Amino acid sequence: MSAIAGTASRGQARRRRIDGWRWSGRIFLVFILLYTALPMIWMLITSIKSGFAAMQFPPQWWPDQPTLASYQKLLDPQNSVGQDFLRFFWNSLFVSTATTILSVIVAVPAAYAFSRFTFPGRNFLFFAVLLRNMFPAVIFLVPLFILMRAIGLVNTHGSLILTYLTFGLPLAIWLLKGFYDNIPVQLEQAARIDGATRFQAFVLIVMPLSAPGIIATAIYSFIGAWNEYIYAYTFLSKNEQLTLPVGIQRFFSENTTDFPGLMAASFMMSVPVVVLFLVLQRYFVRALTEGAVKH
Amino acid sequence: MAHVVLKDLVKTYGSFKAVNNVSLTVNDGEFVALVGPSGCGKTTTLNLVAGLIPITSGDIVIGDRVVNDLDPKDRDIAMVFQNYALYPQKSVYKNLAFPLQMRRLPKEEIDRKVREAARVLDMTELLERKPRELSGGQQQRVALGRALVRDPSVFLMDEPLSNLDAKLRVQMRSEIKRFHQDLKATIIYVTHDQLEAVTMADRMAVMNGGYLQQYDSPAQVFAHPVNMFVASFVGSPAMSLVPLEASTANGKSVLTSAEGWSLELSPHNAQKVAKAKTRKIVLGARHSTIKLHKSAVPGSIPAKAYTVEPTGDVTFVQAFLSGALVNISMPPTIAVAPDEQIWLEFDQERMHLFDGETEMALKAH
Repeated sequence: MSAIAGTASRGQARRRRIDGWRWSGRIFLVFILLYTALPMIWMLITSIKSGFAAMQFPPQWWPDQPTLASYQKLLDPQNSVGQDFLRFFWNSLFVSTATTILSVIVAVPAAYAFSRFTFPGRNFLFFAVLLRNMFPAVIFLVPLFILMRAIGLVNTHGSLILTYLTFGLPLAIWLLKGFYDNIPVQLEQAARIDGATRFQAFVLIVMPLSAPGIIATAIYSFIGAWNEYIYAYTFLSKNEQLTLPVGIQRFFSENTTDFPGLMAASFMMSVPVVVLFLVLQRYFVRALTEGAVKH
Repeated sequence: MAHVVLKDLVKTYGSFKAVNNVSLTVNDGEFVALVGPSGCGKTTTLNLVAGLIPITSGDIVIGDRVVNDLDPKDRDIAMVFQNYALYPQKSVYKNLAFPLQMRRLPKEEIDRKVREAARVLDMTELLERKPRELSGGQQQRVALGRALVRDPSVFLMDEPLSNLDAKLRVQMRSEIKRFHQDLKATIIYVTHDQLEAVTMADRMAVMNGGYLQQYDSPAQVFAHPVNMFVASFVGSPAMSLVPLEASTANGKSVLTSAEGWSLELSPHNAQKVAKAKTRKIVLGARHSTIKLHKSAVPGSIPAKAYTVEPTGDVTFVQAFLSGALVNISMPPTIAVAPDEQIWLEFDQERMHLFDGETEMALKAH
């Protein structure tokens, strides 16, 4: 009897211990959630306050008179603020989309080559590609500025696109190579025997299989370019060229800070990223796990 | 269908020769197995025929064309891979249709051929499934179907059965054999399993270290292995090889062991030994040609049983002889215990003798 009771209580103890871990895990997750979500919520709440309400102390936790005036102002092409905002938005969209497309166009064949072909200097090149990631991006600010000036790209969107590619491509290539490594070479061989050229085998068989990786690469490039501030701030000086992160900064500096306007702009800036992520997150997670773990 | 000729085929990777001057002819409608241990160059040879890797030198002829520089797609071949290489994103139907689409056949003809292949291989109900929803045997069948649907001049198969479990492997073995008989297809089949080669192939090409060792019918390879490698590779359990020394005693040719015993040779075998350039002779005997006695009989050799493995029909006994492990099969009615003293009698008619230095089989003339 006592032996059985002993086992039972030990079993319970074990279960309690597991529960303890589980609960501390949950508490940790809740903490992380609050940490990431609260600023977003506060941003949203502030964006629908009036300028006066936003500055009140103690703060209004929920605005007495919620208003969409900031959004209307930002999205109205008739007034100068709206014109600026829409232009910055368009600039950001252009730079980010171009970066994304170019990044996929370069990363897909590069990763495939690294994965499938042996050529002189293959390992050296591959690690050279990763070498960039050892250094903080800001280290390259001055050299790249000098370089861009030398080739006459300062004050063009091209300078940003090139820079973002420099930073985005290493991880993109590395991520995609992991994908191609996991696609059996026999699939391509089968396709080539079945009547496809090497290129057709790649496009018809391998590319669809690496779609999650390509999508993840694209999201990664897009978000990187969309959020980037310091290079955009340094390389561009003309008002009509600015991207959103730099453009939004103007809401700070002119006269008094328009906090609801700033928050509304920030919120709208985060919309494309959130939408992109929600739609494609399934692929993103698959890409990061499969590329790394699956054999 | 077509015949295939390999002439002095060589493939090198840097200084490593993966395939060394391999020459062989596969007749129209013949089933040839390339067999050998891993790394012997058999898969490389197959990939050379397929055109998946470029040849270093030599010629490959399929039908009447030299195909050395042709792309795989232009060689009119079909291939079944070890891992089946089914396109995971495509349904079975689309897997089968892919080679036909690549050849730009009209839609109705593709549909007709796919359904015909599915009917032949008894998988019509699987057409809409994805490869991952199929069992190993079904995937194997789809892979066969994808090769079949094209009606190619040569089928290349790279270890198609090795990913299947033992029972299914035996079943698919007969199916592939049936497939060959029905289609009268030219098949080059790579396997590391000598049993598959022996049971299925019209002729088998035994390879080792990139060299073709012997190319003949399984019966011939089994009965007359050209060297010690082929002798020990083909047949299960493996042929026992006992290193001995040739000498004469009382005017008769004998093989003597360092253990002290000697074996008197028949006139035929004595003739073979006389041709050898060395005194070092290796005696080869298959398990079924060695008779086990529990007491000494004339011409028998003393040995000690090492392991005893009853399998039901026969019992396999292993014994040490002159430092080599010898396999003997005997009826289960005889009881032998490990470490028991036994006597072995060799069948002189079915005994193999090899040159101990060149490892080549000795011939009487």
